[in-house]
Amino acid sequence: MSDSPESYEAAVERLEEIIDRLDSGQAGLRETLDLCREGRELVQYCAAELDEVGEGLKELRLDDLAARLDASGAGAETP
Amino acid sequence: MGETVEESRLSPRSAGPGLPGPFAVGRYARKLQEEMRKRARVQLIGEVTGMGRSKVQAYFELRDSEGAIPCAIWLNDLEKAGLSESSLRDGAEVVISGGPDYYPGGGQASPSFSFRATSIRLAGEGDLIARLEALRKQLRAEGLFELQKQLHRPRLPKAIGVVTAETGAARHDLVAGLERRGWGGSVIWGFAPVQDRHAAPAIGRALQDLAARPEVEAIVVTRGGGSLADLWAFCDETLCRTVAMLRVPVVSAVGHERDKTLIDDVAAVACSTPTHAAEAAVPLDCIAARESLERCALALRRAGEGAIGTRSRHLGALARGPARALQRERSTLNQKIREIRAASERGLAERAASQRRIGTVVLERARRRGVERAATALEQERSRSEAIERSAQRSLQRRREALKKAAVALRAHDPERTLERGFALAETAAGEPVTSAEAAAAAAEVKLRFADGHVRARTEGEVERER
Repeated sequence: MSDSPESYEAAVERLEEIIDRLDSGQAGLRETLDLCREGRELVQYCAAELDEVGEGLKELRLDDLAARLDASGAGAETP
Repeated sequence: MGETVEESRLSPRSAGPGLPGPFAVGRYARKLQEEMRKRARVQLIGEVTGMGRSKVQAYFELRDSEGAIPCAIWLNDLEKAGLSESSLRDGAEVVISGGPDYYPGGGQASPSFSFRATSIRLAGEGDLIARLEALRKQLRAEGLFELQKQLHRPRLPKAIGVVTAETGAARHDLVAGLERRGWGGSVIWGFAPVQDRHAAPAIGRALQDLAARPEVEAIVVTRGGGSLADLWAFCDETLCRTVAMLRVPVVSAVGHERDKTLIDDVAAVACSTPTHAAEAAVPLDCIAARESLERCALALRRAGEGAIGTRSRHLGALARGPARALQRERSTLNQKIREIRAASERGLAERAASQRRIGTVVLERARRRGVERAATALEQERSRSEAIERSAQRSLQRRREALKKAAVALRAHDPERTLERGFALAETAAGEPVTSAEAAAAAAEVKLRFADGHVRARTEGEVERER
């Protein structure tokens, strides 16, 4: 992928623009092929983003995270 | 004395030998007590903390986010209020009536300041609403309601923080809501009490800790329903100021739909239930998004394949174009020729039929005119002959009448008619009338004719003239 999208929202917005342009039938051959390539990259990006939140809820406790942070901080200071 | 106290506090530089006094401190303390007791009696509202009792009175602090006052109430006044010890637990919102007081102490006893309450009651809904409205007005005026709403809320956060009670239905409702959207990111729980005087500071700390974690993209604060007093922690001014200043968007879902706490005003989004909070924290329905993405992928594949397929078909059609165009022209020409031929034949037939129609019409008109003329002439002739006939009849009649008149006239002059009246006619022998005496004398013999016959007569003598 040439430029990674800013966010999922930006990717979806661009993807909708691409589909609209293709559906309009006004894109020439070169533009159509470029749009298809860009669209496929955006689909891959969005799918990867969805995959990241697709494996079930991970529950963490703020206290545990803070304790872990403290422990690692203390460990780093200890020679 | 009040002025002296005020001056010494406000003008430390003027402290020195030039000031009034020195006064005996005991007397000064008594005077201070009198001044305190002169102050207006008022009602105060706040949270009770540190309730304790001696033999004669109960003492506590009345506090809110901006400050506190030590309070005391005689036990008999407290008993009149009829409040149980549990209802005056730390954090209870109460309204007290009374005024400031100062205990000057004594030889052994320590002096102290307190607000002497003469009555105490639990704060009602109305008190809390009035206080909430005042806070709301103040925070709105400071623009704190808008800060959170200006923050960007990602549609698909990877991690969200949640501040709620560890044991509560809200926690499970939120998780169920997230799972229903097909979202399986990270939830970082910042558990905190949600209903006592420790609640607001604990919630505030949890929010700040969660917001400090870089992976957290949104924070949900939630708890179930309750009275306004139960939800009062979420109207805490310090907590609400903390929320307003956070860099991470906060979604609040406190109480039920009818409960509107101050945190709902400052949060980026206020929801009525934990389920709605799940939707607000993760706006993207991941299940629907996956389906939509599949449709996009399919549309792109079709567009890519279609673009080449359609164009190659178009090119093929163009290659076959000239022969097809020639054939098309030829067909067009043949068609035109057939049309011209048919049109000319049709024109001739139409013209002949037209001529025939014209002939028939003209002859018919001429025949009709002839017949009409003959009929007219006949009619005129008939009229004329009738006129002649009528004229002849009239003429005959006239003649008959004239004849009849003539006959009558003639009869009147007939000599026979005269003879019938007794006259006699003298005639010659030859029958010629003798019309004078001369002639009679001359004739010598005359015939006298009467009506019934005649006789012969002789004339004698001469004519004797009539005189």
